[in-house]
Amino acid sequence: MTFEQARDYLLEKAAAMGLEAEVVATQERELTLKGRGGKLEQITSATQGGLGVRVVAGGKTGYAYSEERSPQALDWVLQEARENAELQSEGGGFLPAGQALGRHDLLGEGLSGTLEQKTKATLGVEQGLLAAPRIHKVDSTYYSESETQGVLGSTKGLSGAYRNGYSYLGAYAVMGEGSNLKQGFHIELSKEFNALEPGRTALEFVEKTGRLLDARPLKTGRYRAYFEPKAFGMLVAAMGMFMLSAKNVLEGKSLLAGKLGQRIGSDLFTLVDDPTLADGLASRPFDAEGTPAQRTLIIDRGVLQTFLHNSETAHKLQAHNTGHASRSYKGVLGIGPSNLFVQPGAGVQIADGVIVAEMMGVHAGANPISGEFSLQALGLLVQGGEVAHAVENFTVAGNFLELLQGITALGDKLEWNPMMGIIGSPMVEVAELSFAGA
Amino acid sequence: MLSETLVGEVLGKARGGGADYAELYVERWRRRNLRALSGAVKEANSGIEFGAGLRLFYGTEVVYAYTNDLTPEGLTELTETLVRLKGQAGQVDAQGRGGLDFRKAAPQGLHAPKVPFEAKDKRYRLERLREAESAAKVAPEIRQVQTQMLEWEQEVLVAASDGTWAEDRRVRTRYVVVAIAQDEGGMQTGHRAPGLSLGLEIFDRFDPAQMGREAGQQAMTNLRAKPAPAGTMPVVVGNAFGGVIFHEALGHLLETTTVAKKTSVLSDKLGQKVASDCVTYIDEGTTAHGWGSQEFDDEGMRSEHTTLIKNGVLESYMVDRLGAMQTGYRPTGSGRRQDYTFAPTSRMRNTYIAPGTTPREKLFEGIEFGLYAAVMGGGQVRPGSGEYNFGVDEAYVIRNGRIEEAVRGAMLVGKGPDTIQKIAAVSDDLSTAPGMCGSISGSVPTEVGQPHLLVSEIVVGGQA
Repeated sequence: MTFEQARDYLLEKAAAMGLEAEVVATQERELTLKGRGGKLEQITSATQGGLGVRVVAGGKTGYAYSEERSPQALDWVLQEARENAELQSEGGGFLPAGQALGRHDLLGEGLSGTLEQKTKATLGVEQGLLAAPRIHKVDSTYYSESETQGVLGSTKGLSGAYRNGYSYLGAYAVMGEGSNLKQGFHIELSKEFNALEPGRTALEFVEKTGRLLDARPLKTGRYRAYFEPKAFGMLVAAMGMFMLSAKNVLEGKSLLAGKLGQRIGSDLFTLVDDPTLADGLASRPFDAEGTPAQRTLIIDRGVLQTFLHNSETAHKLQAHNTGHASRSYKGVLGIGPSNLFVQPGAGVQIADGVIVAEMMGVHAGANPISGEFSLQALGLLVQGGEVAHAVENFTVAGNFLELLQGITALGDKLEWNPMMGIIGSPMVEVAELSFAGA
Repeated sequence: MLSETLVGEVLGKARGGGADYAELYVERWRRRNLRALSGAVKEANSGIEFGAGLRLFYGTEVVYAYTNDLTPEGLTELTETLVRLKGQAGQVDAQGRGGLDFRKAAPQGLHAPKVPFEAKDKRYRLERLREAESAAKVAPEIRQVQTQMLEWEQEVLVAASDGTWAEDRRVRTRYVVVAIAQDEGGMQTGHRAPGLSLGLEIFDRFDPAQMGREAGQQAMTNLRAKPAPAGTMPVVVGNAFGGVIFHEALGHLLETTTVAKKTSVLSDKLGQKVASDCVTYIDEGTTAHGWGSQEFDDEGMRSEHTTLIKNGVLESYMVDRLGAMQTGYRPTGSGRRQDYTFAPTSRMRNTYIAPGTTPREKLFEGIEFGLYAAVMGGGQVRPGSGEYNFGVDEAYVIRNGRIEEAVRGAMLVGKGPDTIQKIAAVSDDLSTAPGMCGSISGSVPTEVGQPHLLVSEIVVGGQA
């Protein structure tokens, strides 16, 4: 069975079983080249995908999925989904009324290029690294591309399809000498293979990692913090996204519950989600339930305007559906941002404090329920507007909501971090934070 | 899952395309996930994951392809794609080979479930989770309790051109209780998450009421805790999940994934003293029902017991097939992967620090001011610099040798090679705990473990 046939099979069978059903099917193609020592060390080629259903029976919702497209597997999916729905104690579940959304191509010919060209790009990153000073070991360099075809359908009239994808170059290496070593990883992401530049990827890696060498311990204390855009993006991803999800608000896990219309951050702080950005890596025509894309002003000059909603949370909270439903075929209905970004400001004048360049261990050191974070970081100590030296072996700690209140300046240039969602931020200056080190 | 003839054909075709070694990995998973909040089911999901990964070696160069299309046509296309990719990127030297004579190995049921998933209906799980939830409400401040149940059944076949044919069946069960406490001061959490390679007898091995109570108590401890102190100080690390510190600071540095490329700071150190005398570090693949146990690794090699460090001296790395080819070290059955979408690499299984001789209470003696990291959270490491970090879920201040007030938000950071030299004493109360470990071959279940131990100095990140 093809994916379309499998989707139709599921919808027809579901209707015959008296179930309302929605199907999300995705099919992905991947090519990854991993280079080392002037040749390709590993090539990965793949086609993979599956179908997931959400069924509603008597107002109760259940899920199931399969990567196997035999009738037996798909029958099992519907039976399990129905049993899973029956386990729910609360009713009120529904599938949103759908419409025909057509087919959308968000990728075009962006990934076209021969294997030779892509191999050359992979090895070009390594050449760039090896030509740079203070490279200790190159672990590997990468080229990777991924193309996704998604299909939506429901017994309530939803139908739609899209094609999307991206490519990236990656560098993974260790810099320094003796026991003065720093390991770095850098990727450059684009929807156009031709827009990737191996030389630039290598150079950015070397700049980013090299400046952190010869680091000294940081004395424990309270310092003014200058978060670089990608580091601040990590914090927004780990904390902000969780707190702004209406699903977490409904489940009593968000510190922002009950704060709509209130000031929750400095009046310099504005947060926007925009799936309609022309060049956005996370742009999309509609969300996982087929709700059309729209720009959402989430925090306006420090004041909380809305949470991020799907149809279910919007209905329960009597709010406008912002079109942030997310669901992979293996997953359940959730909330997911598109291109989420902090609006740039007038610029930052660096004086005295610590530039936080990288933060590590976000999954362990940031608790989005309590809002507290304590994160291992790497950075630069600045004194009198000048970089004194790199600093290491320290943590930066605080409470995310207090940090938002403490923002004293924003940089004027937006940079995107593709590592945890697609999050944009300028440099962010925070009046004072606690740093623990020597 | 696939016929011997079809497997033989695929491997033969791959060898005919010039590969020195061809390996086919096939699997089918059935997974179930149930999440409840305040007793009400929020989400219930079930799924089948089904696919194959074909890996070809040309010397130490590797090509890998995976697909969900396991028909003869699908697998033929997969093989041809790989051979073609290699043909374009490197050299093909045609060397065909006849039929394969497989040496068949089947699992012995060492970790087989006593109470299989089919033995009880879904309500049974929900009732057990509700027991945990009720017990977690140890105080009025416990506002929410989330429970979750994970059931994984995995059938695996690994076949290779050297005649390897290993079948394994892996069944794992885990449940999670998260208690959320709230007062005017904020929200804090506590949790328990037992998991083993077994079936629904997980509820007999770990009583839901007790797990719930402990999660609730931990949330209350954190709610009443003060912010953690900041600075460099002695730290007593608790047993069981406390072992995550050495999983990060030491274990990851001993995988050939990085050792072979010398991007680990512990490369080329076999036979050398890398840790203090009181450290013996084991990676055990055969623990009965261990969360990280499996009868065969994902390259078809039987699991084994591997002593990594004995009394501070490095005895072995964790070595997969590619790592063995690159380094010449003996393979240790450590090739693991999340699923067919990843090529395997060397990974940990059930990894722990062996018991020492210092009585637990002696560890605290003589500490003027320090931290007792009673229950650890997750962590991370960069093998190239050895820099690690991990969170602490439950911690107390040590003052003049006594465990005093609870503190929250502590983060421990350091460099692995330094920290392992600073282990001053190891007690005798070894215990283990399950976790999920992420690396280049995806997320795999691993157990961490250790007795209580004292590190003379670690940077504690708290609010100064």
